[in-house]
Amino acid sequence: MCKCMSVCCLFVFSEDQILLSDCASSLAVQAYLRMCNLPVHVSCRSNAEYMSPSGKVPFVHVGNQVVSELGPIVQFTKAKGHSLSDGLDDVQRAEMKAYMELVNNMLLTAELYIQWCDDTTATEISRPRYSSPYSWPLNQILAYQKQWEVRRKMNAIGWAGKSLEQVYEDVSQCCQALSQRLGTQPYFFNKQPTELDALVFGHLFTILTTRLTSDELGEKIKSYSNLLAFCRRIEQSYFEDSQAGSSSRGYSKGPSLF
Amino acid sequence: MAATMELRCWGGDWGLPSVHTESLIVLAYAKFSGATITVTPIDWTWKTLTGTVPELVYQGSTITEPAQILNFLRKQRFNADYELSARQGADTMAYIALLEEKLRPALLHTFWVDAENYANLTRPWFASRSPFPLNFLVPGRHANTALSRILLTKGESPLHTITEVEGKIYSEAKECLNLLSHRLGMAYYFFGNTPCSLDAFVFGFVAPLHKASLPSSPLQSHLRQLDNLQRFCDHILNAHFSSHPGETSALRRVCVSLYIDDCFRSRVLGKGYKDPAGFLIERVSENLVNFRSCKAFSKHRTYNFCQVVICSRSNT
Repeated sequence: MCKCMSVCCLFVFSEDQILLSDCASSLAVQAYLRMCNLPVHVSCRSNAEYMSPSGKVPFVHVGNQVVSELGPIVQFTKAKGHSLSDGLDDVQRAEMKAYMELVNNMLLTAELYIQWCDDTTATEISRPRYSSPYSWPLNQILAYQKQWEVRRKMNAIGWAGKSLEQVYEDVSQCCQALSQRLGTQPYFFNKQPTELDALVFGHLFTILTTRLTSDELGEKIKSYSNLLAFCRRIEQSYFEDSQAGSSSRGYSKGPSLF
Repeated sequence: MAATMELRCWGGDWGLPSVHTESLIVLAYAKFSGATITVTPIDWTWKTLTGTVPELVYQGSTITEPAQILNFLRKQRFNADYELSARQGADTMAYIALLEEKLRPALLHTFWVDAENYANLTRPWFASRSPFPLNFLVPGRHANTALSRILLTKGESPLHTITEVEGKIYSEAKECLNLLSHRLGMAYYFFGNTPCSLDAFVFGFVAPLHKASLPSSPLQSHLRQLDNLQRFCDHILNAHFSSHPGETSALRRVCVSLYIDDCFRSRVLGKGYKDPAGFLIERVSENLVNFRSCKAFSKHRTYNFCQVVICSRSNT
């Protein structure tokens, strides 16, 4: 019998500080927790990254345990008896994990690339936002350090040589794959949402509602109408009941899909 | 006639056309799609240090990276994915992402970071295939690249040490192999009866793990429990890479041990041969075409066991 979990506290960056990739990950975790009907309280901290056990936001604090990132959070809630993917057979579970890796591999990496490896975006948006809570000279040091870290990672996985056009093309192909997999179904695995739906929603919604230096990324996604309908459906089902200043609106820096 | 496409890649061993994952992917896809490519191994050349592997050269242009090479081959009308539906194409992308994220770090660790495997298998192999003085540089460089890639993608700050992530990457890799095995089931290929690009990718990743004789590998032991993945690799090797002169330049060595009984020996000695070994060389030469050399030697003083080593090299 699943014991009712004590309220979990989700830690993210504050609204002025948060960037596209972190926002997407946070929204994915929130969507997942809402889909599991678990009460969640969102707490904004500027040092959330340093509090997290893995160095990545978001992370949840429940009782005396701290778990970060969607994968471990899903396993943690499963251990407590709340799971969305129990009804899937082995082949479907394999597909679900594969598609989650596709989103992480393509969409998340593309978001990081656009934020930190594209000079215009890095100078105008990413560095100022990331270092906003700190004073000089710490803000310069931290911002450049983060940029250097991300560029090293891009180098290691072979994305450093890509141009922005190629990255947009990769995102488009990824969205095409997701769109074809979704088809006309309400969720990826027919009637019930799973963690894959939460992850895809988090990334797509954030990209659609964030203003960057260019709108091309959002336009790529808008060309797939079933993905738009999917995002709208999840927003209406799981985020509509929040008050004004709700968590979903709190992260959108542009108009919401509603 | 179309100009030939030339592929530069690492050479083969352990029963595989190439020991390098990316090169294997391209070779397998070329077989599946019917593309004729000339394979030029970079072994024993300076390209082991300077070249990016694999590399496809066609009419002056060079393409690197398996995904780009496969795209190029598709544009040249060599398309192994022609019969896939849109949904299967999407699944292909997803599974390839799964391989890259979950399996690649553990494979890099097994071959390049694990001390025992690196010292006993990987470094000697790559060092022996590089010219002097590169044999001191090439393996070390690959090992450093592998380690930094694992730490950057899987390492969790602030403790960037390899031991912290080892457990995590191996458990993820085992899970990935299980997922692939579930998806493959009892079929020969992942989609239908003909191989496609996903089969090429899975083959490229899994075959070295299946065939290499690694001194210590929990991942290889895990793979041994998954019969269908082993069968998948063996089937592709037998169906597409069995010896065909003119297509590979792999050196094949066949070693046959024969037990010679008294009856045979008396017949052989009766024909004027000093020992069965010489007799066997002559018989083998008569019956084999396309071989380079044949050596026979006897293991026991009484010439009860004779070992014949036949080296054959196909013409390119």
